[in-house]
Amino acid sequence: MSNEKQILSADEIRRALVRIAHEIDERNGGLRDVVIVGIRSRGVPLAERIAAAIADFDGTRVPVGQLDITLYRDDLKLRGPAARVRKTDLPIDITGKTVVLVDDVLFTGRTVRAALDAIADLGRPARIQLAVLIDRGHRELPIRADFVGKNVPTSLSERVMVRLRETDGVDEVVIQRGASNE
Amino acid sequence: MRYLIKNGTIIDPANRVATIGDILVANGKVERLYDLADLHSEREPLGSDVEVINARGCVVAPGFTDLHTHLRQPGEEHKETIASASAAAAVGGFTTLCARPTTRPTPDNAAAIRQLRELADRYGSVRIDLIGALTLGNEGRALSEMRELAEAGCIAFSDGGRTIADAALMRNAMAYAAALGLPVMVSCQDPHLAAGGVAHEGAVSIRLGLPGIPAAAEEAIVARDIALAEATGAHLHISRVSTAGSVALIRAARARGVRVTAEVTPHHLTLTDRWLLGWLEERNEIETGRPGAHPDLSLPSWLNPALLPPYDSSTRVEPPLRNIEHVEALIEGLRDGVIDAIAVDHAPHALVDRDCEYGIAPPGISGLETALALALTLVHRGELDIVNLIAKLTEGPAQVLNRSPANLRPGATADIVIFDPERSWVVDTDQFVSRGRNTPLRGQRLKGQVMLTMAAGKIVFRRDDFGRQAQAAPQPSRLEGILETE
Amino acid sequence: MSELRRHAIDLDDFSAAEIEEILETAESMREVLGREIKQVPVLRGKTVVNMFFEESTRTRISFELAARALSANVVAFTARGSSVEKGESLVDTVRTLQALGADIIVMRHSQSGAPYLVARHFRGSLINAGDGRHAHPTQALLDLYTMRSRLGQIRDLNVVIVGDVLHSRVVRSNLWGLTRLGARVTLCGPPTLIGPAAFWTATWPTIRIVHELDPLLPEADVVMALRLQKERMQSGLLPALREYTRVYGLTAERLARLPKHAIVMHPGPMNEGIEIFPEVATASPAAIEEQVTNGVAVRMALLYRMAG
Repeated sequence: MSNEKQILSADEIRRALVRIAHEIDERNGGLRDVVIVGIRSRGVPLAERIAAAIADFDGTRVPVGQLDITLYRDDLKLRGPAARVRKTDLPIDITGKTVVLVDDVLFTGRTVRAALDAIADLGRPARIQLAVLIDRGHRELPIRADFVGKNVPTSLSERVMVRLRETDGVDEVVIQRGASNE
Repeated sequence: MRYLIKNGTIIDPANRVATIGDILVANGKVERLYDLADLHSEREPLGSDVEVINARGCVVAPGFTDLHTHLRQPGEEHKETIASASAAAAVGGFTTLCARPTTRPTPDNAAAIRQLRELADRYGSVRIDLIGALTLGNEGRALSEMRELAEAGCIAFSDGGRTIADAALMRNAMAYAAALGLPVMVSCQDPHLAAGGVAHEGAVSIRLGLPGIPAAAEEAIVARDIALAEATGAHLHISRVSTAGSVALIRAARARGVRVTAEVTPHHLTLTDRWLLGWLEERNEIETGRPGAHPDLSLPSWLNPALLPPYDSSTRVEPPLRNIEHVEALIEGLRDGVIDAIAVDHAPHALVDRDCEYGIAPPGISGLETALALALTLVHRGELDIVNLIAKLTEGPAQVLNRSPANLRPGATADIVIFDPERSWVVDTDQFVSRGRNTPLRGQRLKGQVMLTMAAGKIVFRRDDFGRQAQAAPQPSRLEGILETE
Repeated sequence: MSELRRHAIDLDDFSAAEIEEILETAESMREVLGREIKQVPVLRGKTVVNMFFEESTRTRISFELAARALSANVVAFTARGSSVEKGESLVDTVRTLQALGADIIVMRHSQSGAPYLVARHFRGSLINAGDGRHAHPTQALLDLYTMRSRLGQIRDLNVVIVGDVLHSRVVRSNLWGLTRLGARVTLCGPPTLIGPAAFWTATWPTIRIVHELDPLLPEADVVMALRLQKERMQSGLLPALREYTRVYGLTAERLARLPKHAIVMHPGPMNEGIEIFPEVATASPAAIEEQVTNGVAVRMALLYRMAG
């Protein structure tokens, strides 16, 4: 695709995640009650990498979970294609914990809203924080990220694509012109 | 008023006539028949009172007789009346209807028959003959007053669609009818074997989970009634034969001289139980990759069961639509003369009674207006010649009723049908003149349509000003080719 | 992602891929049912009407729990005490429910094919919860789910279905599902409760029909016993229940002759001591309680596919 521009390389992604790992540690004064929860699908490998980065510098193994928010979305239509429902899997009870939600791109905020609803049904955490690799703006809900890999000002007609080894075979973030996200 | 029906293909099976020619009708009778030999001879000049009906390309035949009509009046006028039934008969080319004793009150006594006769004379626009009930209330428990019924003008006895389960009672009924010289018309279905059934027992009933009616339910009673007819000397007429086994039993009985006649309906000759599947049928074909539509059923391409939804209540008939083996045996029986007549079993129902679950739908098809076109599918696919088909609608029924057949000989009553065997049309039940719109054929394209019907010299139906303009004449029919090979 | 489904009347129009997708979704739904708050908001604001013309407490409750777990408003319509007893037709009833705003109708009816009639008069979605002898697609889906979760996959499984095959809607829907997913199915029972084999193989050409159960046991991966209605004996289809039990009943002796991994299923409700014995129904090969539990998850998955 010729109208694609890379905005993060593999190395830049790695460094952004390591930085986020440190910020989580600093913000919470330690990692004792932290649970990292990736939002399906690309939030899951990102959550695992952040947890691995934490293990690297701290030796702590923070619990990592995965959250499927399909059943909580507010943009499902009658008689459209049905999004595939996948499993939600949290390794421990999140009540009283600090849950760090992880997603690839923060855009309208609707995915995060759905994730917050899902988390609320799964337990009562002490606090919920949000980590994203890219914040591209255009929020439709009063939601902001606590940890951001890179802020990327975009227009609505552009599309931000996060590609990861685990899902796409390659690590990079690109921006495409003339095609908005969904 | 006199009519000259010109240039039609005249087919009169009773007189072994099949020719292109003209027919002059006067005073309710056929006055003269001009065949090819007369075409160039001198004719006396026609008077100004003669209306010329141009029938070029159409078949001109004696009016049809239906042995099996349910009038519904009196008793169920929301389904049909004598007026609407006879109007539907005219549209279908029928000039005589034999009314089954299924009206209410049951015509099981002379007074009821006389009341029915009066209604039929007042409202009927075609000839209506009455069949008396065989048992009181058609209940199969006690014989009706058969002698009085005969004296009141009944032409036969029947219990409608019901089988008399009690063989001893059936024997008595036949003995009585034999003495009166009238046929006993039976519908054969063993009530125990058929209990709860709504579909032919076979692959389709299993697939759809519908309680089945085995072919043996019919054949067991056909065999019983043939034995009783043989013992009593009665004239047994088997209504709406539907299985291969029944055809074989009747063939054997006739061969040893038993007085048994039989009729078959147009739908049992042409439709199978796969029509119950409706569009499920198509789905199966896509799945299994079987080529073409209905390889097991040599339906003409314009008949398509997939136009119906599955379990459409219009496919519920008694006896049930059978499978292709039975359909082929029925056609064979028709061809070789074992089956005398095609009878419509015209059974109109109101929509409100039909828009319901399959198992509780009342059985029957409103068939007078589609009977000819449906039966003609056999001619179009080369399974029956047209002369034989017309015989099964004219001469055959007359033989069942022991009367001289409707015919086109000079002096005969002018009961005449003119139909275009090639005219293609789509069945639109909203256009039915019958009050019964219940037919699985709705939306189907059929070939062959009645253009004009004359009952006793009176035009009782005429389609679109038929025959008035010479230039509007239909294309020459390929029947001329068929006739040459006769 | 795949197209949403409008109606679920039988499994005959479900592809293998769609069945697999529903079974996978059901896996996720089981996780939801394991939570403390057993509810997700997918069907919030939607109205599901359970229209049962034939009593079936188990199926009705299973659908009710499934719809509630997806946050739908659930209304029960039972024929008893309703306008149906006053002679209202099925079509009128459906039109009324439509006018009242039903989005999804779940229906149970004693007449085969009745759901096709309802579907013609209803603009929403329809799920068949059993019609006459014709179909019971959600039962078949939960059976498939149970087999898959116990035995790993459906392909090449030897499935023996024993009992009153002729009158069973469960059998017909299972035949579509099992044959489409590649199982080898044998129907077993007395001839009066099956009918001629050719009637079955015309539609499902790969299945086998036999009248002896015992020779099948050593090779079976799944044995599914069907409920035997006691009326069958009165209508002359069976000489005696005792004889039926002796030849076709799932006894402890027969259980012992199954391979170790084999499972025993029953769509319920069971006639214990007739087609299945209590010690068999509670033994470890029996998956009967699991079938019931899985039923809710599978029905959630189907509801999601139709309205999600």
